Amino acid sequence: MAVAAADLLLQSVTDPSGWVIHTLNGLFRGFILFMIASGLTIIFGVLGILNLAHGEFYALGALLFVSLASYLTGLVVAPTDPASLLLFGVLVLVAILVAAAVLIPVSAVIETVLVRKIYDRDEVYQLLLTFGLLLVLIDLMKISWGPGTHRPDAVGGESLNQVVDVIPMEEWFGFSYSSYAIFSIFAGAVVFLALLWFFDRTKTGRIVRATAINREMATAIGVSSDRVFTLVFAMGGFFAGLAGAIHSGSAIAASADMGGDALVLSFVVIVVGGLGSIRGAFVGAILVGVLSRWMTWQQPALELAAPFALMVVVLLVRPEGLYGTWGEIE
Amino acid sequence: MSTSDQDDGKRRIRLFKGLYLTPLQLVLAVAGILALFLVPEIEGVSTRLSLTTIHQGILWGMAAVGLNLLLRHTELVSFGHAAFFGAGAYGGAIVVNFLGVDAGLVVLFGGVTLALFFSLLIGWLVAEYRDIYFALLTLAFGQVLFAIALGWGTLGQDEGLFLRAGGSFTGDPPTLFALELGLRQYRILLYYLTIVLLVASLLVMWRLINSPFGNALDAIGQDRTRARFIGIPVKRYVWAAFVVSGVYGGIAGALYGMRRLQVTPEGTLEVFRSGEILFMAILGGFQTLLGPVIGGIVLRWLLENARFVTEHFELLTGLVLIFVVFFMPQGILGSLPKIAAGTRKRARNPGMVGGDLSTLGTMFADAARDAARTIKILLFGVK
Amino acid sequence: MTGDIQPTDTAAKGFDRRTMLKAAGGSALAVALAGCSDLLSGSEDDGGNGGEEIPDEPIKAGLQTFTEGAASVLGLQAQYGAEEAVSRINDADGVAGREIQLDVVHEADAHQENYNTFVEEGKDVTFGPISSGGHLSMLGEIEDSGVINVSTDGTVTTLFEEELTDPTYAFRFQNHDVMEAVSAAVTAVEQLGADNIDTYANINPNYAFGEDERRLFSAAIEALTDADEVYSGFPDLLADDMSTHVTSVVQEEPDVLFTSCWGGDATLLLDQGQGQGMPDATDIIVGPVLYGSANDYTEGDIQGNIWSGSRNFYWGFPDTDRWSPGQELFEAAQEAENTIPTAHYMSGYGAVTAWATAAEKASDIVGGWPSQEQIAATLENHGFFTPAGYHTMHESHQCYSNSHFGRMVWSDDIGGPLLEDVSVADPREVSPPPGTSSFDWLENW
Repeated sequence: MAVAAADLLLQSVTDPSGWVIHTLNGLFRGFILFMIASGLTIIFGVLGILNLAHGEFYALGALLFVSLASYLTGLVVAPTDPASLLLFGVLVLVAILVAAAVLIPVSAVIETVLVRKIYDRDEVYQLLLTFGLLLVLIDLMKISWGPGTHRPDAVGGESLNQVVDVIPMEEWFGFSYSSYAIFSIFAGAVVFLALLWFFDRTKTGRIVRATAINREMATAIGVSSDRVFTLVFAMGGFFAGLAGAIHSGSAIAASADMGGDALVLSFVVIVVGGLGSIRGAFVGAILVGVLSRWMTWQQPALELAAPFALMVVVLLVRPEGLYGTWGEIE
Repeated sequence: MSTSDQDDGKRRIRLFKGLYLTPLQLVLAVAGILALFLVPEIEGVSTRLSLTTIHQGILWGMAAVGLNLLLRHTELVSFGHAAFFGAGAYGGAIVVNFLGVDAGLVVLFGGVTLALFFSLLIGWLVAEYRDIYFALLTLAFGQVLFAIALGWGTLGQDEGLFLRAGGSFTGDPPTLFALELGLRQYRILLYYLTIVLLVASLLVMWRLINSPFGNALDAIGQDRTRARFIGIPVKRYVWAAFVVSGVYGGIAGALYGMRRLQVTPEGTLEVFRSGEILFMAILGGFQTLLGPVIGGIVLRWLLENARFVTEHFELLTGLVLIFVVFFMPQGILGSLPKIAAGTRKRARNPGMVGGDLSTLGTMFADAARDAARTIKILLFGVK
Repeated sequence: MTGDIQPTDTAAKGFDRRTMLKAAGGSALAVALAGCSDLLSGSEDDGGNGGEEIPDEPIKAGLQTFTEGAASVLGLQAQYGAEEAVSRINDADGVAGREIQLDVVHEADAHQENYNTFVEEGKDVTFGPISSGGHLSMLGEIEDSGVINVSTDGTVTTLFEEELTDPTYAFRFQNHDVMEAVSAAVTAVEQLGADNIDTYANINPNYAFGEDERRLFSAAIEALTDADEVYSGFPDLLADDMSTHVTSVVQEEPDVLFTSCWGGDATLLLDQGQGQGMPDATDIIVGPVLYGSANDYTEGDIQGNIWSGSRNFYWGFPDTDRWSPGQELFEAAQEAENTIPTAHYMSGYGAVTAWATAAEKASDIVGGWPSQEQIAATLENHGFFTPAGYHTMHESHQCYSNSHFGRMVWSDDIGGPLLEDVSVADPREVSPPPGTSSFDWLENW
């Protein structure tokens, strides 16, 4: 371990760009994870439900984006100059936002029709229901998109992220890195700030927090907890869908069963960060993302175990997580 | 099926100290065991009724019985029970592969020992946690074991280990009671051994939950602070319950490995296997002793057969689980009395069926209205 | 076609209709499966004996493959190939007059259970699976149940070399790992020259297949050159991120990068690799199964000096004006499933063909419907033809065929990559002689 650490230090001094790029790899992964986990953690924080079907919202966002982006970018020719590249970027952004927006009604309806009925039930039923939902959603996606993997249609012979990658990062930062990944990191940061702003500064955000802290009290002062719950569940769905849409624009292939791993890793993130905490999910996601990439870099064999080992350590040392607040959103 | 021996005037038959059954229960129990013994004889009736599926279902169900000790009594949701099922399976495989022993009972013992070791270790680390933290911590430990089995070349990675002679994949199966058997005979004898162990483990569990120890676990489940107050050593008791539950998983896992003659990380240790064990308990009825076994057989049967019947097997299984949540919350076994009473009432008064249908209709109408209202609010805001 | 393995029992020496029919059991069926439709005319009377014992009902066959999930990139290809073979068989009047009914089931992680269920359903023959670990777990069952299984893939190297030395009912159609890993090493040396290879890197999926491929490739390249391994990464199977491994390779700038990633992992690796300039950082990228994702690449993914194997089948080799069966199979796949057939298409096609031609031959010999033992015995050292060329089911129960390797280049016509400068290796060049294990053989190169 000490040798590995010394080795790492030496490499970071002799070759800083390697260090930076491995960290960027981790940040990209971390921000995608954050967007998935933020939804999971606010749903848990406010509704008290661990939504096992949350990964399917991420998968649905990814598949919707593949279809939408293929359609929209098919309308224009491959970008050749900055103006057409800008148009292309706008279309991709539209596809991302529309794909994520579709998740709002989908998750809202799931909440009102199914999930709402079991808030007062034993948590094992919540797990069973959301697991059943997970299976149903997987199959519905398979019926709609087919069983295999899917990527957005190529534009001018290049995949979507390769088109975006034309924007030269090397000139700005001094090293070559995927511009699409940089934009994704940026988008993740915007989501984080927007969520903080929403819960700290807006009236609706404060109402949500009040409901999370004390349901009865909030109801007594005239807050419709039904509506708050629907809103929160739809928000969770939206951010998971956003993560899926952005992620499937990068090099990954989207498939109906991509949600399982995302779900399990999101568990790790929100447990490390502290259940129900946005800041916790953020720090947890970045930690899991960056540390697991560093670990894979130094000890490739640890790739699979790294996030879970981190989770075990954090839970044993600080069981409430780094920002644990037991169900309050802060 | 667990009977409390309250004095309601019914005649009860004493099986042994503390276990009394009404004549009906006794007849059902004997019939149930007989039916299980007959499975190898009648499996040819339909390809959908296969000994393999029922045997594996019973084994997963046995693990669920162990998990249910935590779920029902200490009210702890374990999301990593596959760790012990897998430890049992791998323990047996290690005995065959690295100690070169192929006596079935030693293999079984090896599996239980490894499961015991991990449940002692993990149990000690998690015993003080509750609620979702307990669930997620058990999940994390389960994933760590999964990652080790998948990443460690000695354990065969994704291909796992074989429990055939010499660890080869076509060798003879382990011996049972020093008998060297052909595969078919081996499997049937192993199945009978499983039934015997199942009945024994159910009896032991029954004794356990009706003992002072079981009552203490109930008290811990209801309120830990109060339990501590009345002098129950909470951590040690939860730890003990965890170990018992893990050993049940270990026995089941070792037998599962012996049945399949191969253990793999994906087949025994993955997080979805943990989920399945938990859902088996709920599906069968986690407020009952026998429910998890029923749940194990039913879920396993669904998972195995649905694939051959429809390509939409996930949809089918998912709808069954959702149905259970809303219409049979007590699980299959727990809902039987209610279903029986309801059916009897409807047999006497057929008019009630119309009422049922209209209730069902109202429910779907309500759901549709809720959905429509949600979409309206989303589109036009609150008016 | 130099260097084809000659079927030892039938000695097909030339390429005229008579010897070909003789070699493959002398039936319309064999000709149909060889993909030579123009040879079909007039061959009806060469059919089976029509013995009284041949049952009237169709042959029940089962195929387990990945029909869904990320691995369906391979699994569906095998299914399409098997279905194409079955439809050609049925159009040519079946096996000894019996049509084949093929049931397909998702292999999931229940290979043993699937096989047993097939047997309980009374299947005459079973095919599949794709998963090598899954194939391993079935072998004991197959030998015990006595219903022939011809694996489509399941390319565990040591399977029929060391562990299962005297199988009866378990067969495998596809080339085993050693052939593709050694072909990759040979290709790298041919392209760069042994003296120009000082370093190499590995990126292989984190499971037994990936480990095997790494060991085999490393052994082969070190036997051929003085190169050292500078990096070895094992991304999770079906990963959603390869960036760390890409970065490490870009930093190390190895001369050769070997990868056995397949399916979505292959597209992910190449796409993320392009984003960080991986093709520029290496002199050559060789991957035995990269072409398996032919239907999923964009033109941008395959820029650079990227060479891929295509196991025992590449539809565009030899040139279609010299050898039409490849082109015809390509068109059939395009028409039926709108897909570019890959090596896994041939896995399904070849597994069915191996069994069907052997069953027909056995039926001719016994003058009725043969038993499982008779078909199994006929399959040993059985030679047959497919559009991929000539195959021999060796007595060790694995099939030997030529191994293809070529440079991936984009084709707008087919909307996917082609292989250019395809080199074809005789099995003798890239796999050990019978009775020798791959690793022993490589050590003594």
